[in-house]
Amino acid sequence: MAKLTIDGGAIEVADGTSLFDACRLARGEALPHFCYHPDLSIAGVCRLCQVEVEGMPKLTIACNTAVRDGMVVHTRSEKVRKASQQILEMHLINHPVDCPICDQAGECGLQNQYMAYGLYDSQVTQGDKVHKTKAQVIGPEVILDKERCVLCSRCVRFCNEVTKTGELGIFNRGDRAEIGVAPGQQLDNAYSVNTVDICPVGALTSRDFRFQKRVWMLKSADGVCAGCATGCNVRIDHEAGRVYRLKPRRNAQVNGSWMCDEGRHTYKAVHADDRLVEPMWRGQAVTWADAKVRLAEVAAGGFALVVGSAHQALEELCLLKQVAAGAALSGGLAGSDMGVGDDILRSADRTPNRRGLALAGFAEHGAIELAALIRAAKGAILVHGGDPAAAPEVAAALAGRQDVVYVGTHRRATAQAAALALPGATWAEKAGIFVNRQGRAQAFAQAVARPGQAREDWRVLAELLPAPAAAPGSLKVLREAVRAQLALDVDLDRLPADGALTGGEA
Amino acid sequence: MNPNDVAGQAGPKILSARFGRKDGHRLPVYEQEGGYTALRKVLGGMQPDEVTALVKESGLRGRGGAGFPTGTKWGFVPKGAEQVYFFVNADESEPGTFKDRFLLDYDPHQTIEGTIISCFAVRANLGFIYIRGEFGWLIDRVQKAVDECYAAGYLGKNILGSGYDLEMIVHKGAGAYICGEETGLINSVEGRKGQPSIKPPFPAVSGFLKKPTIVNNVESVASVPWIINNGAAAYRAYGTEKSPGSKLFSVSGPVKRPGVYEIPLGMPFRTFFEDILGGMADGEELKAVIVGGSSVPVLPADEIMACNLDYESLGSAGTMLGSGGMIVIPKRCDMVELIQVLMHFYWDESCGQCTPCREGTGWLHRLVKKLRRGEGTAEDLERLEHVCAGMAGLTICPLSDAAVMPMRSFLDKFRGEFEALIQDQAPVAASSRWPRGERE
Repeated sequence: MAKLTIDGGAIEVADGTSLFDACRLARGEALPHFCYHPDLSIAGVCRLCQVEVEGMPKLTIACNTAVRDGMVVHTRSEKVRKASQQILEMHLINHPVDCPICDQAGECGLQNQYMAYGLYDSQVTQGDKVHKTKAQVIGPEVILDKERCVLCSRCVRFCNEVTKTGELGIFNRGDRAEIGVAPGQQLDNAYSVNTVDICPVGALTSRDFRFQKRVWMLKSADGVCAGCATGCNVRIDHEAGRVYRLKPRRNAQVNGSWMCDEGRHTYKAVHADDRLVEPMWRGQAVTWADAKVRLAEVAAGGFALVVGSAHQALEELCLLKQVAAGAALSGGLAGSDMGVGDDILRSADRTPNRRGLALAGFAEHGAIELAALIRAAKGAILVHGGDPAAAPEVAAALAGRQDVVYVGTHRRATAQAAALALPGATWAEKAGIFVNRQGRAQAFAQAVARPGQAREDWRVLAELLPAPAAAPGSLKVLREAVRAQLALDVDLDRLPADGALTGGEA
Repeated sequence: MNPNDVAGQAGPKILSARFGRKDGHRLPVYEQEGGYTALRKVLGGMQPDEVTALVKESGLRGRGGAGFPTGTKWGFVPKGAEQVYFFVNADESEPGTFKDRFLLDYDPHQTIEGTIISCFAVRANLGFIYIRGEFGWLIDRVQKAVDECYAAGYLGKNILGSGYDLEMIVHKGAGAYICGEETGLINSVEGRKGQPSIKPPFPAVSGFLKKPTIVNNVESVASVPWIINNGAAAYRAYGTEKSPGSKLFSVSGPVKRPGVYEIPLGMPFRTFFEDILGGMADGEELKAVIVGGSSVPVLPADEIMACNLDYESLGSAGTMLGSGGMIVIPKRCDMVELIQVLMHFYWDESCGQCTPCREGTGWLHRLVKKLRRGEGTAEDLERLEHVCAGMAGLTICPLSDAAVMPMRSFLDKFRGEFEALIQDQAPVAASSRWPRGERE
């Protein structure tokens, strides 16, 4: 441990801590910076995190300085304040200040830090600025504006160090230096939008999000990406019932600061045209009251087969098992929703909760096995989530049955095959827990309202219980029941920020 | 420049013995005059640490510009390091500086011998001579000298039967001032963009290929054989207590005898100027001197006349000995025009990674050009000072400071010339508009 004094206060940090991190702790906020990033190498080029260390002749950048026992550091002295102001001014002099048409406005490092530390009078007239290329498409997801760039090199380091694809570079030198891709190349790695996230200014913007919404209009909820079994922690940015984008939330145990481009597009399914937004009885929209009547007709004697899915939350799966009440169980189609994985973040398993499915006691089946289970069912069948009827064998087994109930979010094959289809909620419209491939239980919060007549899945399931009166009254109560059912040693209603391992981890 | 101008000078011949000598660059001539005896002495029984100690004792200071003690730098290589690299920095590109060019042109073997001894001292088995790309003919000359050494057994395996192995590579730079900064130099040899690295770690601990690396200027290395042959005390017999030995000065400008001169450090500028340079050329009058290469502060005639040519005297006068690239400025020169030339240089050569330098060098250049167009205001003079304050001491390498030092000193010492250019006061300048056809 090293004991040091920062701005007059004593602080103790582990040896090897960077002075930047120690200052963040001591100040309660980070030093001004552009190039520093916790998950990238140190570049030390923006020169903004200058601090005064007693005994050193000049100011020094905190990001490239290791703490030493006994160090006395000033981060708010007049000398430091002046240097920060001047360096920020240098960042601004050739910046186009086109904030009114810039997507980054409102979450811009240059705007925010200039307001906090900067000078207020510009000494540069517009005509004196160095101009560079604007709005250049550099890949399927990203647009580059070279004159907004402050050359912090975060995007270059990301492509060199994280994806190791090296598409970006800084070309030319001096004030002609600019970010670019080599001729004939594009920024098309599977993680390219992370460069937009870490770009502190509006130089790199997302083609998907560009001009869709001013960021200060957005509200945020903490989510978990449902695109694969990794479970990257995300921020769901939404407004007026619409999700506009997903941004990674840092979790050093799971995704660091990153997420994949494919995961970012998963919000589009939330607002897809084929959403199931009303209860459907034999293809016709009905009210929930009618649906309950039909349900009583179809499943009067309970269910003979209950089929879960790796897309559903842990609480739902545990409740589904109670609904089954001893009936035959299936976790849905084995090997469904498989894609290409990599050794960065993406799992080949494109479901968010296969570990949770197994934990809740559901085993998946091959299409032929599942079809056999369906044919063997001498009573009603309940399918929750997923789309097992996408497999021709399963579709054939379901064909003609009038006792199939489906609870789900989209009008896909299984919803069409069911006599009664009940609208549930997507991950953006409910709270829940997914267990990722590490076995880590991670909670996600509701971001937007459910469309139409859609309901939280667990409330729908609760009404299907053999004894509805015994249904949990709230998600908190349900979670407590799940904890007991699975014998977990963690409060599922208050999971730690980086999730909790559920045991038996691979 | 006629190198024969050097003849006739009194004082040491530590570095310049073969300047102007026909075939002085050939191995037989060098050997005839005692060449490679220092190497034989070192490999004949000295320990690496003894060599380092001797160089430390001699007080030799780095001749690239910073003046850091050479032996002390060698001592920074971690004990027991398995792989150490050594680089000779011949990327001489500081405006006004052309001494290393003379050393390598007239006497490449002296530098090569010094390099072999230096490599031995820091336990390197691979040495590089990094030569500025524009010095095409020098690269050939040095390569030929290195080839001669391999043939003579001064390089390669088991040198002179000592068991010491050393390979030497002559590397051609691609033409960037910033590659003369040691970490920029290392990056460029590694095949990266030639730009400095953040320190720590320092190259002596983690440099080329992340191994301990020493980078020394040509003139520093070239001084080593003489020190080995003659001892530290003999070296210290020249110069002053804090600036021992001799130093090359490359003198340009309208003096009677411009050229490269070796003088003992501590010589009064007046003596050097009047006796050796012969004073100003006919019809010229001394106005100012940039004494140590374009990056050091300029001194007006009366101030430089009071200085001695050593680290401490020039330091207390507010400038630096630097590389010894002495630019003599005559009365007729327009100081604002001269600073425009320099600001263009630093703007053009900034590598662009650190914001204060990238933006500041361009800003200074634009402001100076504005003044010279007759469009400047009094606020622009304040602004020049303001920009300098935002650049000084805040960057990875000294290029930013190297632009600030001349800018500040020109403004400070010759403010009247700047003020005369300010809008509404200035008669349209009769001076030339340099540089014509400037690239932007």
